[in-house]
Amino acid sequence: MNCAEFQGLLPEILDSGETPESKVHIHSCPECSDLYVELREISQAAVQLRAGEEPNQRVWNLIEIALRQEGLIRDTAWAGPTLLPTPARRWRGAWLAPIAALLLVMTSGIAVLQHVSQRQPLAALNQASTIEAGAAEDQELLNTIGERAPALRATYAVDLRSIDSYIHNAEDTLKSDPTDEEAQRALMGAYEQRAMVYELAFDRP
Amino acid sequence: MLSRANVTKAAVVTILTGVAFGAGEVRKEFRYVVGPKATVSVTNQYGPVSVRPIEGNQVVVTAVLHSDKVVVDQNQTGNRVNMFSRLLPGADSDTGQVEYELQVPPDTNVMLHSDTGPLSAEGLRGEIALEGTTAPVEVRNVDDAHVHIKTMDGPVTLTNVQKGHVEITSVSGNVNLNQVNGMLVEVNSNSGKIHYDGNFGDNGQYRLMSNTGDIEAFAPDTASIDVSARSIHGQVENDFRLEPEQTTPFLMRAESAFAGTLGKAASSVKLHSFSGKIHLKKRSSKNK
Repeated sequence: MNCAEFQGLLPEILDSGETPESKVHIHSCPECSDLYVELREISQAAVQLRAGEEPNQRVWNLIEIALRQEGLIRDTAWAGPTLLPTPARRWRGAWLAPIAALLLVMTSGIAVLQHVSQRQPLAALNQASTIEAGAAEDQELLNTIGERAPALRATYAVDLRSIDSYIHNAEDTLKSDPTDEEAQRALMGAYEQRAMVYELAFDRP
Repeated sequence: MLSRANVTKAAVVTILTGVAFGAGEVRKEFRYVVGPKATVSVTNQYGPVSVRPIEGNQVVVTAVLHSDKVVVDQNQTGNRVNMFSRLLPGADSDTGQVEYELQVPPDTNVMLHSDTGPLSAEGLRGEIALEGTTAPVEVRNVDDAHVHIKTMDGPVTLTNVQKGHVEITSVSGNVNLNQVNGMLVEVNSNSGKIHYDGNFGDNGQYRLMSNTGDIEAFAPDTASIDVSARSIHGQVENDFRLEPEQTTPFLMRAESAFAGTLGKAASSVKLHSFSGKIHLKKRSSKNK
């Protein structure tokens, strides 16, 4: 089993446990071993999360972007970011849902702390990628709002810009003092607000 | 008490449709028999939704539709009533408006959703979840209730909320809390101002957080609080003579932070901002 095959089977391995083949690969490949251990820890921790809560669509997008950057999933006919839910994008939904929820936290506030840590297998879930992803998603959101409720588009645009601007400022402050817990909490609060904006925009019938 | 099955069976939906109510407007009334702690949700893209209590076991919903470009879908499943404004092709923010007035038993859980609002609830004691984009949000005279509010631009006003569990997230709308007490009172705002005027009672935790908006809190001399305030890039002011704390979670600088206790420190109060101004004010008798 090579790395690609192993990573392709990761969801099943996490769901059902290691197979003899995957065990061999885990022992022989430090990179996949690290990845497997991290995802398993996340998956186990995610069990503690409240059941039955479907993450916001933005979570799926962030996960997808991060996994693409990690090379864990590759383009098939991806025509650009979309925030509209489709069954195909919710691949492996059963196991990924709790992980997604946890990763949202990681990609938002707690991600700020990651530069202190040197654990890198999921390093693509960093601030830069989040911000880049955010810009594309913001545009997608505004397009959707523009179609659904044109009068509200400006409100969404202004508020998203305001939150993003604040996030940049807060991140700069954290760079000068990464241990400032209040600044970390403030940044997480801003990400919560951002998530709320997406929720208000998309969680409508 | 009605069982779930009986509630469904006993559900009475009276719809008085087609009542002319003005140019192009139609007034509809819906009635549902519900059991204790029913749940009522209303999703309305454009227009106000208000809820007030009524004695008995009925939910009464009055909907005024502004045109034939919008219809009201509704259903009752068990102890849950759902109302939904469905826009038809060509509807806009005027023709798509529906005005809802709900009367519900006081223990009803309500979930109201409107982009433009206003949204208002009063006299309830269940779960109250209100969401809006530009909708002004108002909650009054609720006791022992969980109040969850999410809004972008709309101002939020809570008045006389006792023993509450209050969580408010706002982007740019101002948040006004008047006589709001409870085990948890939490506001998370981006640029909107936060104004609190009350006693910080109920041995609660009060967390008023803003990114760039100012925070102003009025409390009486008799308040019993353990307070910490910090603005990372803004100013803080304090009108009280606080007993100093032994430890604080952040570096104390006079112009950007203060912490201390007042009275028996029964409630925890955190006033935190990134760049907004924070002012803890003493309420004078004329402010009462």
